Amino acid sequence: MKSLLHSTVTKKIINKYDRFAQLNGNHPLKELVPEAYIEYKARQKKSGKVYYFNFALAKQLGLISDDHPEKMNDELEQKILETFNIVIINEYDNIHHIKHPPDTIKENTYMATRYLQLQHPGKQGKTSGDGRSVWNGQVTHHGVTWDISSCGTGATRLSPASAKMNKFFKTGDPSISYGCGCSEKDEGVSTSLFSEVMYLNGIRTERVLAIIEHKNGLAINVRAHPNLIRPSHFFAPLKQNNYEYLKKMYDYYVKRQRENGFWPDYPKDEMAGYEYFLTKLANVFATMVAQFEDEYIFCWLDWDGDNILMDGSIVDYGSVRQFGLFHHEYRYDDVERYSTSISEQKIKAKYLIQTFAQMVDFLKNHIKRPIKSFEHHRVLKEFEKIFEFQKDKNLLFKIGFNNAQVAHLLNKHRKTVKDFRSSFSYFERIKSTKGIKKVADGINWSAIFCMRDILREYPQIMQFREGRLTHEEFIKIIKSSYATRKDLVLNPYRKQMVGLFQEKYMNMVEIVAAEIKKSVKNILCEITMRSSVINKYDRITGDAVTIIVDKILAVKQGPEEIYQIMHDFLYFQNHDPSKIKQLERHKIKNTKGVKNLLEIVRSYREGI
Amino acid sequence: MRLVFYGGGDEEENISLNHALIKLVKSSNPVITFIPACSYDADIEFSYFARHFKKFNISRMINFPVDIPYTDILLKEVLKSDIIYLGGGNTFYFLKKLKDVGLISKFKKYAIDGGILSGLSAGAIIMTPNVKTASFPSFDCDLNEEKLKNLSSMNLVDFEFFPHYKNSIRYEDELKKYSNKINRPLYACPDGCGIILDQDKISFIGKSYCFYKGKKILLKAA
Repeated sequence: MKSLLHSTVTKKIINKYDRFAQLNGNHPLKELVPEAYIEYKARQKKSGKVYYFNFALAKQLGLISDDHPEKMNDELEQKILETFNIVIINEYDNIHHIKHPPDTIKENTYMATRYLQLQHPGKQGKTSGDGRSVWNGQVTHHGVTWDISSCGTGATRLSPASAKMNKFFKTGDPSISYGCGCSEKDEGVSTSLFSEVMYLNGIRTERVLAIIEHKNGLAINVRAHPNLIRPSHFFAPLKQNNYEYLKKMYDYYVKRQRENGFWPDYPKDEMAGYEYFLTKLANVFATMVAQFEDEYIFCWLDWDGDNILMDGSIVDYGSVRQFGLFHHEYRYDDVERYSTSISEQKIKAKYLIQTFAQMVDFLKNHIKRPIKSFEHHRVLKEFEKIFEFQKDKNLLFKIGFNNAQVAHLLNKHRKTVKDFRSSFSYFERIKSTKGIKKVADGINWSAIFCMRDILREYPQIMQFREGRLTHEEFIKIIKSSYATRKDLVLNPYRKQMVGLFQEKYMNMVEIVAAEIKKSVKNILCEITMRSSVINKYDRITGDAVTIIVDKILAVKQGPEEIYQIMHDFLYFQNHDPSKIKQLERHKIKNTKGVKNLLEIVRSYREGI
Repeated sequence: MRLVFYGGGDEEENISLNHALIKLVKSSNPVITFIPACSYDADIEFSYFARHFKKFNISRMINFPVDIPYTDILLKEVLKSDIIYLGGGNTFYFLKKLKDVGLISKFKKYAIDGGILSGLSAGAIIMTPNVKTASFPSFDCDLNEEKLKNLSSMNLVDFEFFPHYKNSIRYEDELKKYSNKINRPLYACPDGCGIILDQDKISFIGKSYCFYKGKKILLKAA
């Protein structure tokens, strides 16, 4: 009995990291959609060490047990390296007969998936896709299957460089930057930090599981998401008029959504299924783009459906930013072109839905009709409706109303909400008289008012005031550091909008107070509580992330210390009042290091 | 003057003190202002604070961080509050920020003029003549990262205050040693314990101690 017990315990200990073994290159997409990827052999890299490991995410994926200490050990580090520290044996290696020790070559192949990318010359997705990533596989835990892929695992033939120059590149070729198959450590840290802030605040996103550090700032960055399929994975076969490939892609995607329990009511009837798919996507993308606008998230959306996942999650943080003010004229400079602006994101998202309408029609009828034929498709009207609804809803939440109050205002007093939104948007969109300026990675025409500040301060003040704020008091609260004296001139229209803002704000508070039979002051106090979290003074911006990443990179510590810094920092980035109780208030160390990072967030709180 | 000193702890540990604080209020619809020691987590602290005081039927509360820009519009309301509650955190940082914006004298005047001023841990120390007690014992003290040299504070009472006291030899030795260097009592309160000063009457909630000239005296709770 004693020996049996002993052997059970030993076996359990030996197997504690066994689930990593599932991430061996195998993935159902290989079997179900053979057209959707290119396969590569891969070899184990000798150098490299674990720089960061997201213990919390690893627990969510079931890779480590829930009670695993958030500390690195030799066995775990070894397992992470064994699983993710790989490099593909690519076309260049094969053409040049480069030999690798047989014992370093992984048993299975790894796939680089194909998808449409506008920067590729063909514009049909025949040459584009994962240019420097491969998929490690999938893991299932608590009924959810996650895809895991790694960036920086070598140059594939799907990179823009290969397509444009019509040649294969050696992994790490210094003559070509975007195309050498490498990824950088700062990209990994930046993505990790940014995505965890987004995740914490209910924005759908990819997440970083691990960063494996190599020489010269290079790294392998491992990402996870319950479904890493992008719209561009569908748009490649659509552009190619390849029905079979598209149908397989569709079936694969729906299967995963259903298996993950995300689409439990997907109809059995094939035609009804297509309609379900289209309606679902219109909902997802309209909601997403309204949220991006209201949270000032800049994510470069374009017709190719890259940079975003099918469920509206952010993927590829290279150009992603969060603004402190509504800098709706900012454009990212991608050398060959300027990006869309935050306001244009909606047009692009709507176009993606139009493309999906075309795609569904193709799937239904086996004939591809021109995209223009879908300009007036019913799903686009649905998209507009959802977008408008979400904009109103988001604003009510931003003010600080709770779920029931938001529902009441939306259902019974939409006109008042809309009137308030018009005054809010007016101030939010006012730009500096200074005009367009060059910024570090693009151009911007600065917004000048910080609407977060008025939403935070107004309910506090109105608990005591019988009358309204004067025009001057109002402007004093919302003005940002971007505003010049000239910007703050109170013309008659602006005065009218100050009045409208206050009138409609208080109207909504009075409506809610009457509905739940509480005093107006009481509602204002509740709003004050919620709004102080939602609209806190500090807000992380893209500028702040850039500086913070440099600070984190300067810390010469191990993976658990890096994890701890990020964990403690995140405690201060929550904007959701419902999550306050879940925050581990007593476990947080407000160390000097974390305080320094918070100071950076503060300094750049109005930036881009 | 009406002052309340909290030794530390969370809302649940301080229920008795909070009851005592509310009892000092004369208004039927009081206003409480929460002044966090630092604004970085002010929203979280205020959230806990407000949720707790809502249970006392307080329906008007202000969150007023002093280390970020604020408007006179709100400050005016703060100074009209029935209670001002100074939160806990790093004492040196808090004192520096209060001094930077000239609020030490304003809050002192507020208390002298009859406002109820209360403070938890760092906030309580700030109501005393100086904040030296925040700098010891070495194993559990606030770091003076602000390099603050002038440690004088509100000076509303003629005693000093030591929060988060633990009844152990280590703490006792340090406090006895310090009390030998000063000419006024040093009150030490564990979490959940504190002092109520209502005009001339002083009372203690929980098991608090007085250190004076190297001696330790257990104080009788109210």
